[in-house]
Amino acid sequence: MTRTQIIVIRLVLLALVLGAWEGLPRAGIINPLLLPPLSDVLVMLVDLIRRPMVQEAVAVTALEVIVAFIIAVPIGAAAGILIAENEYIGDICKPMLFYVFSIPKSIFLPMFILVFGIGFQQKVAYAAFTTAFVVLMSAAAAVESVRSDHIMVARSYGATKTQILFRVYVPSMLPILLEALRIAMIFNFTGVMIAEMYASRTGIGHLIANWGENFQMPQLFAGVIVLSAVAIVFNEAVRALEAKCSTWRT
Amino acid sequence: MRRPDPAAVRWMILAALLALWEVVPLTGALPELFLPSLSKTLTVLYIDRHIYFAALLVTLYEVALSMLIACGLGILIGALVGGLAMLRELLLPVFSSLYAVPIVILYPVFTAWFGIGSSSKIAFAGIYGFFPVMLSTAAGIRTIDPQFLLAARSMGATLPQQITRVIIPASLPTVFAGLRLGGALTIIGVVVAEMLTASAGIGYLVTLNRTILDSPRVFAAILAILVLSIAYYMLARALESRMVVWQSAGRRQQQSSSRGEPVAVPTPAAA
Amino acid sequence: MQHLANVSQLRAQAGEAAIEVEGLSHTYAGANGSVPALVDISLSVRKGRFVVIVGPSGCGKTSLLMMLAGLRQQTDGAILCHGQPMPKPDPERVGVIFQEASLFPWLTTLDNIEFPLSLRGTSREERRRRSQAMLSLVGLEGFGERYPHELSGGMKQRVSIARGLVQDPPVLLMDEPFAALDEQTRMTMGHELLRIWSTTRKTVVFITHSLTEAVYLADEVLVMSARPGRIIDHIEVELPRPRTYEMMATDVFGRLRDRIWQQIRKTA
Repeated sequence: MTRTQIIVIRLVLLALVLGAWEGLPRAGIINPLLLPPLSDVLVMLVDLIRRPMVQEAVAVTALEVIVAFIIAVPIGAAAGILIAENEYIGDICKPMLFYVFSIPKSIFLPMFILVFGIGFQQKVAYAAFTTAFVVLMSAAAAVESVRSDHIMVARSYGATKTQILFRVYVPSMLPILLEALRIAMIFNFTGVMIAEMYASRTGIGHLIANWGENFQMPQLFAGVIVLSAVAIVFNEAVRALEAKCSTWRT
Repeated sequence: MRRPDPAAVRWMILAALLALWEVVPLTGALPELFLPSLSKTLTVLYIDRHIYFAALLVTLYEVALSMLIACGLGILIGALVGGLAMLRELLLPVFSSLYAVPIVILYPVFTAWFGIGSSSKIAFAGIYGFFPVMLSTAAGIRTIDPQFLLAARSMGATLPQQITRVIIPASLPTVFAGLRLGGALTIIGVVVAEMLTASAGIGYLVTLNRTILDSPRVFAAILAILVLSIAYYMLARALESRMVVWQSAGRRQQQSSSRGEPVAVPTPAAA
Repeated sequence: MQHLANVSQLRAQAGEAAIEVEGLSHTYAGANGSVPALVDISLSVRKGRFVVIVGPSGCGKTSLLMMLAGLRQQTDGAILCHGQPMPKPDPERVGVIFQEASLFPWLTTLDNIEFPLSLRGTSREERRRRSQAMLSLVGLEGFGERYPHELSGGMKQRVSIARGLVQDPPVLLMDEPFAALDEQTRMTMGHELLRIWSTTRKTVVFITHSLTEAVYLADEVLVMSARPGRIIDHIEVELPRPRTYEMMATDVFGRLRDRIWQQIRKTA
């Protein structure tokens, strides 16, 4: 299938979905109280964006996401590199990682709340906590993905450790690191959302939970659309960047 | 001095953590509110065991049903999308883009639609688990060596025979990985949902006891969840290794890299 | 189409030919129009002969083999195997062995060998009897309960050969079966294959890159040109059987090798 065919078919599918979202509630086939027609949602969306309360909530959430990310990435990366580089520590930790990943980290939310109370710090701490693990795994995978034969070639030509780091490791790891950051952000965002929905008085997640509780469906769906759009746009942007950096990857 | 065996070190770390859990609160270094001692937690768990047991049953029930959705649909659709080139080109990028959306924001929608009972948890956790399982299965299907089908055809296998005698056995490792992943994710999804808005279940107990500041009971619930998820993981691994002895042998050669066992980047859970 | 002066015009009578190919051509649709892959191939393989097709990469020899096996249909021309066309694979007439053994990793060695029989619904006892017999034939007695991942490359190919033989087809097609093996194993396997062939007296069409392998194994060598593939030479290998490693050092051997190489070089 050609690229244009693919794009056209996808647009058609999208149109069908959007059309159903508009038509089915309007026709009464689906209860419009449960699923408001798309146009109502969009109108509400436009209205919401203008409200200061919503703008504040967005700002709070954005800040939490950024700060949590900034905290989580260095810690997770350092730990991941350590596990990958040091064979002994790696042997100890790697089997544990799978167990760790099976555990719902949301169960630690109450602990964060008990320690930090409800507020900015608690949410950031929790999100950073969950994100750090993902960054750890990705960093370890990235380091291990560097082919040992490439390293050997560099060493045989007398490259110093720094040179090997920057001339072999970094270019080799770059696409993986970008992908790791992208995935880490997905989890980071989710972590912030969970924290905000669970126990918070601010943030978009809190607003959404609130709207849900009060059956304010148009607002709820408007919020969902905006958040989804932001998530997807960010994701695709990083993916495009990844693609640019990894033309050499098989 | 010879370094101790890594497995032994892991047990030592676990033991140390448990010991700290007991000792630190008792010495008063951390208030009991933040961290009740292990013995207190276990005591409370025992006293209220009926309550916790009943809650676990609710949770397990929800997990089971959402696994049906996440794994059933996930594996089926993943196999189709991964196996059929047209569907793959068309839909796979769409699904992996959707994966970027934090599914948890849909949970209020489900509670509005289905109420705070089990149905909303099942719907939510089902979808939560669906995407990763689907993506993982789609990827896994593609690792099946196409030479198998060529060989089968050359031996005169009919299309139904190709499906039942070659494709299905060859996809077992992928299917099992999907089941393991799906189970882990639905447990996480159900727990998160129960913690957020619920009237029953082990996650609900966490939230309930937190709001009344009953820390031992909060941690008892947390402990129960920890045990549940670890038990599931161990069970899934045990089953998988029994059934699929020849796993790696059937796959196409993956890009050989690294020093030692590579750490795969998982598509795990955020929660 | 040109016949070189020394292309053998020996056309066996219908009753003696295991494989007859008449005017076969194949084109496929490429990005910029149709691409000729094979041009006007005609050949005849007498029963019980060991024929090797050798040619440069991409000359279409694998495609030709797939057509002989019924796995692919040619755009032009006819193929007859034991007097009948090959519209689809027929493992009772033609056994196919590929470069990759493609043993099913979830089956034991014996189960792999029996696989074609189990597709037909043959009884368990009969399947076991035949697969055990094949296992012995290829020299792997005792390995029946092993899984493919426990076998070496050479052993896997032996199993693949056993599987191809289990229905006792009169014709065996082999597509570079030893290409993935190291040279020493290749030589051993070639020797083994000749032993098996002389015991079972099948008709064999064997494809290879290796000139040495071609001369060592073959009764007749068909040389193909680079794409689009045509048969440019037909060489009778007049070395006595059974073949020995020492023959590889003889002048005759060297001249035959050289002749093949010269032909290929001209077209590459």
